[in-house]
Amino acid sequence: MSALQAPPVPLSRRVLPYAMLSPAVLVTLAIVFLPMIQAVWMSLHDYVLFRPRVFDFVWFKNFQTALADPVFWISLRHTVIWIAITVPAQMLLGLATALLLNQEFPWRGLARALVIIPWALPSVVIALMWVWIYDSNYGVLNDLLLRMNLITASVPWLANPDTALYAIILTLTWQGFPFFAVMILAGLQGIPKSYYEAAAIDGASNFRQFWHITLPGLAGVLMTATLLRIIWVANSIDVIFVMTGGGPGYSTYTLPLYAFINARTGLNYGYGSALAVSFTLVLLGFVILYLRRAGRNIG
Amino acid sequence: MITTRMTRRVAAALMASTLLAGAANAQTVNFWYHFDNADNPMSDLVAKFEAENPGIKVNAENIPWNSYYDQLYTSLAAGTAPDAALVKLNALPRLLEMEALEPLDARLDAWEGKAEIQDNLLTLTAAADGGHYYLPVQYVVLYLYYRTDMFAELGLTPPETCEQFRDAAIALTRDTNGDGQTDVYGFGFRGGRGGHDHWASFVLSREGVGFGPGELTSAAGVEGSQFVVDLFRTDKVFPPSAPNDGFQEIIGAFKNGTTAMTIHHIGSSADMVATLGDNVSAVPVPECGGGRWTSFGDESTAIFSSAQDKDAAWKWISFLSSPENNAAFNVATGQLPVTKTDSAAWNLHAERFVDATVASLPFANLLPNVSETADFANTVWPVAMQRALIGEISAEAMNTEIDSLYNK
Repeated sequence: MSALQAPPVPLSRRVLPYAMLSPAVLVTLAIVFLPMIQAVWMSLHDYVLFRPRVFDFVWFKNFQTALADPVFWISLRHTVIWIAITVPAQMLLGLATALLLNQEFPWRGLARALVIIPWALPSVVIALMWVWIYDSNYGVLNDLLLRMNLITASVPWLANPDTALYAIILTLTWQGFPFFAVMILAGLQGIPKSYYEAAAIDGASNFRQFWHITLPGLAGVLMTATLLRIIWVANSIDVIFVMTGGGPGYSTYTLPLYAFINARTGLNYGYGSALAVSFTLVLLGFVILYLRRAGRNIG
Repeated sequence: MITTRMTRRVAAALMASTLLAGAANAQTVNFWYHFDNADNPMSDLVAKFEAENPGIKVNAENIPWNSYYDQLYTSLAAGTAPDAALVKLNALPRLLEMEALEPLDARLDAWEGKAEIQDNLLTLTAAADGGHYYLPVQYVVLYLYYRTDMFAELGLTPPETCEQFRDAAIALTRDTNGDGQTDVYGFGFRGGRGGHDHWASFVLSREGVGFGPGELTSAAGVEGSQFVVDLFRTDKVFPPSAPNDGFQEIIGAFKNGTTAMTIHHIGSSADMVATLGDNVSAVPVPECGGGRWTSFGDESTAIFSSAQDKDAAWKWISFLSSPENNAAFNVATGQLPVTKTDSAAWNLHAERFVDATVASLPFANLLPNVSETADFANTVWPVAMQRALIGEISAEAMNTEIDSLYNK
């Protein structure tokens, strides 16, 4: 009844929220959704940039080609390794750093500020820096390992197909762990101290406190950060591109990099888009999980 | 007081409108180029050109070499290309296929500077249909750099043949300080993009080997690639980083003594001499399998069909290939001028490097003048060579990949 009696909301007030949202929505549509639709559209065409007059609709031919393309499978395998090692490694390192930074010690503020440096540096700078660290002639890594007698001859980390991908994974782990550290640190500060005091009174050891209070307290943050990182790491090609360009051979090709090289260097936008679209479908599961979490948090 | 203020306002308005009108009248030529060296000489040439041609403004942009063609092709397709650019001959077929080039024949014929261009250069840079779309601006020929001090120390002479080259490379690869580590490698091989010139000297020199059907997959063709792979995998005369090495790495390694030989052109000679003095010299690449093959390194300028003001763009590119300006351009790039006047007066390079260049001219070649060459140089060769070097595929499989690119 009361709802019926309430004065009608004026049209201007009903329209206002949409009017205020529309610039953001329009921009998102223009710079996110339009290119996405364009990529899907291009993936269904024969579209090679240096033959501008040819733009034939070929249905799913590019996708069929991808499935029969051995480089597609090599790249997919590398992408799985890339995500499966990088993200957990970043998370564990981030967790350890956050636990450390959560302790009381002198200059803690400075340490918290410094730890963010790898995250704040541009990827290209990081990639070039690590290329020098790994250099087989002058690199500091080989020099240290040789001095410690851990290796007998310099290892060409980035030119050796057995080590190249893992060398880049280490670089990306170093670059990305501060993100986890900062997120987890914020999460740690949200866990009430009284829980630990109560647990201590009950005689819980440090490990049990960590296992039963800290970890459950961080679960939400860890989940969100991990999902976000999976999506970012999966798509990140800048560091690989600068460090090896995908080489030697196909040793450091990941799917997004393969799509990029096809489109940008090979100028084959049809096939490149098909690769990108296929990879998006693979990633979609993680994206949906993340969106559901994000939606639930807002709700 | 009021009059003064009025006068000032009128003067300001007049100035503003003059500037605006000037800006509207001035034609801008957007020009892309790539220079390795950091000290950029383009600004002087641009200033000189703008002083000689009032009303034309040149916006010259140095694009990083590694992504130069990626950027050029995508900008052409996107309609954001420059008006003119520095281009290599192996890009000509693809640019023609994209219908991106402005024919230059009529302008060339009407140009007084045409007679100044060295005789064979306009023939070399013509398209397959005989038309001209390129105006030469510099050239080089690749040759073999070697360390005279290291050769003298071991009593070696510069290699004349592939066999001598291999023997010398093996002898030069050594541990000089007794720590059990190899300190010097015989040859700095470029396994990354741009390294096809190195490979070609060892492979395309062989009798009957080129890019025709079955030529690379013939016994001689496979033997050539196998020779390169063996140098790395069996003889170990390349630095271990060779599969990924590019221009910076091979030049850096040669200058600091990590390698005793490498292949490049006169463009790097001044830099080499500055570091190594008399300890560096050059000879033509060795004879392999009955012949010699080296790369003719060309660089021309071209006007794109999308250019706003083609006359202004022509004025600018013809300015760069005119005597004196062409010399200034080549002093900056360290390569060789294309005009007769500048060539006659050329004294930038030490004589031994000019001699090696001239001695290499008779067997200097270009890659096939077809669209596939762009893919060969940018993707197919680097990936196949790297895979062969790291043992993922055989030399024969590598050659088959290249053969199937050219002979689909």
